[in-house]
Amino acid sequence: MNKLWIETANLCRHYKRGSSTVKAVDGVDLQIYQGEYLAIVGSSGSGKSTILNMLAGLDTPTSGTVHVEDIDLFKMSKKEIASYRADQIGMVFQSFNLIPHHTALYNVEMALFFDNTPRTERTQKAKAMLESLGLGERLDHKPADLSGGEQQRVAVARALVKTPTVLFADEPTGNLDQKNTNQIAELLSDLNQKGLTIVIVTHDLQFAKNSADRIIRMDYGKIVEVIKNGDRNESS
Amino acid sequence: MNLRDMLHISVGNLRRMKLRTFLTASGVVIAIAAFVSMLSFGAGMQENVASEFNNLGLFNTMIVYQKDAEKEFPHDLQEKDTLSTNEPTKIKPLNNEALRQLSEIPGVSLAYPYESFTISVSIDDSIYNTEAQVLPQIAYKTKLHKTLLYGEHLGSDSSREILLTNQFIKEFEIAFPDSLIGKQLIISAKASSVDSGLYAIVKSDSFNFVNKIKEFDFDSLRNKNYVTNILKTEANDAVQRFIDGYMNRNEIISDTLTIVGILDNGIGSRTSTKPILIPMSIAEKFNSKGAGRGAMDFMSMMSSGQLDIFNQKAKPKSFSKITLNIDQGVMHKNVSDSVKALGYRPFSFAQEFEQIQKFFFYFDMGLGLIGLIALITASLGIVNTMVMSIIERKREIGILKSLGADELYIKLLFLTESAMIGTIGASAGIVFGWLISRLGSFIAQSYMEKEGVDAIELFTMPFWLVLTAFAIGLAVSLAAGYFPASKAAKVDPVEALRSD
Ligand SMILES: Nc1ncnc2c1ncn2[C@@H]1O[C@H](COP(=O)(O)OP(=O)(O)OP(=O)(O)O)[C@@H](O)[C@H]1O
Ligand SMILES: [Mg+2]
Repeated sequence: MNKLWIETANLCRHYKRGSSTVKAVDGVDLQIYQGEYLAIVGSSGSGKSTILNMLAGLDTPTSGTVHVEDIDLFKMSKKEIASYRADQIGMVFQSFNLIPHHTALYNVEMALFFDNTPRTERTQKAKAMLESLGLGERLDHKPADLSGGEQQRVAVARALVKTPTVLFADEPTGNLDQKNTNQIAELLSDLNQKGLTIVIVTHDLQFAKNSADRIIRMDYGKIVEVIKNGDRNESS
Repeated sequence: MNLRDMLHISVGNLRRMKLRTFLTASGVVIAIAAFVSMLSFGAGMQENVASEFNNLGLFNTMIVYQKDAEKEFPHDLQEKDTLSTNEPTKIKPLNNEALRQLSEIPGVSLAYPYESFTISVSIDDSIYNTEAQVLPQIAYKTKLHKTLLYGEHLGSDSSREILLTNQFIKEFEIAFPDSLIGKQLIISAKASSVDSGLYAIVKSDSFNFVNKIKEFDFDSLRNKNYVTNILKTEANDAVQRFIDGYMNRNEIISDTLTIVGILDNGIGSRTSTKPILIPMSIAEKFNSKGAGRGAMDFMSMMSSGQLDIFNQKAKPKSFSKITLNIDQGVMHKNVSDSVKALGYRPFSFAQEFEQIQKFFFYFDMGLGLIGLIALITASLGIVNTMVMSIIERKREIGILKSLGADELYIKLLFLTESAMIGTIGASAGIVFGWLISRLGSFIAQSYMEKEGVDAIELFTMPFWLVLTAFAIGLAVSLAAGYFPASKAAKVDPVEALRSD
């Protein structure tokens, strides 16, 4: 087995709404290994996105811990958590989350603002990354001028350009048609083959079964099932 | 990420929101323009006063007066009654002895008296009623009396020459002043004496004893107030008639002198000279014959005890003021303390200038405050714009945070934007303020020219003003941006990135 990279212990994220409490994530123990392709599935509102956000340090747990390579993530300062994101995490979202008034190239470049990449290198890297994803012709286009699939590839390029340790993707294909979904799925599998750790949240169990090493099913904030995807492991 | 990236992003955002940026910056432009133009006026005035002081050598001039007769012996008779119960301090006269004492004060390089006469002069066929002032030879070289417009200075204390001043030229609208140089001038003054004054009390055209008696209300004489009033009125009338008689003696003294030059005299009532300047010997001749003392001179002589009505010979010569020239680097306070110790009243221009500077400080503060209020209003515009911008760009903030931006970065990004609004506004405001000051200067100067006043520059824009205006514009916009920027830094990325 590969090296343990992230480990959560009794991770909880509760929202107080008046007298009632929404337990978005409720006592999750989860290990993620380097090079692993992990899929999180579950019905809407089961807490998938919330887990991912806490793993990325964007959200703060109400209790429990997240250890990244034995370091307690939430004992770090805000600044350190920010540079953890800058250096190690790439994120992709269902709604792409590109900045509409910047070009595709600049959107990708911005991912390199925070890891001390020199200015000239920044543009080169961003260009190369977009070209490798087949967007060489689209560098100067604004997001609105791109198709959904193209926008999501720009978002993937932005996540990958800084060569992160892990890619967090929250329903990356949720807004895409089948053709584009397949394209992204292939792309991710390809990246995982090359050694990138991937954590993906998806509704699409078939997608998960086709791609992931391990599938976690959530319900009401708890892990209710862990499926080892033996078929895929054998094939890789 | 460096400043250049921040500027790039900020400029991009401001350019996308052209109208909003323009309107927000306009507020700053107006405020800074107001600030700059008003303070430019303040600075201009200050500079004018300072340079005028300097030109006239006022920073080393002190004027000495007698103790104030107004204060020690009020003219009102009723108050005089109450005062007479106290022992009145005798006012020390400014006579030759005073001149000697004053000139011996350490740090005083020169002391010369100021004496003036009411005279009339005739040049060619024109007669001018005016005043003459004695200019002793020792004062020729002082900055105050040095600058000649035409001709030459008086030769000496005994020369039979006369100087006109530009005061004279202005007052009598002399078209070609230089043509007067070398001309003969007849100076004449009415002599006045105590005899004629006393005579006028009992025998005056306007005084009729019989009529006065008729006017009395004898029944009311028992009323004490009525009596007091009558006596007061009568006493006042008598003094008035004495002065009239004193002044209206018909003997005239005159002399013929040569006009040698025209002097440029200073500003302000304390420094400006009389329209005509005469040498010492002429003044002494006029003085000995009792020439041209005005009613005020008379009153002050009487109240200071210099005038003894029944023994006119005892009248010592005295001056209305004595001018002191003070050595460079001497503390004016020391000199003025010594003057006070001698029993006189000093007036120091340097000390006055401190007061003027204090005044200008508050004046500038007042003007600045008006500009500042405008700036605060403008800053509310900045706050509004920045808050709007943050609401609109919430998702962008979330994205930047997901990419690894920390709170400081977000804060700086938005501060950069408001600072840019401030920079644009302040720069344009300084330019506009300058234009306004030029316009104001143009209008003021053409007005002054029309009025025949020497046109002076009312506005200046020293570098410190430009720098201060810029710094204040920048500081206010940073302050205005601080609250929104802190808010931006605290945006919850999870909420901002939620897909809907
Ligand atoms: N700010 C919040 N305040 C209150 N409840 C919240 C908040 N954010 C999330 N929740 C609740 O937490 C639960 C988990 O939310 P989460 O977004 O993690 O679900 P999800 O599994 O990602 O669902 P979906 O598949 O629809 O994206 C939901 O019931 C949601 O209503
Ligand atoms: Mg979700």
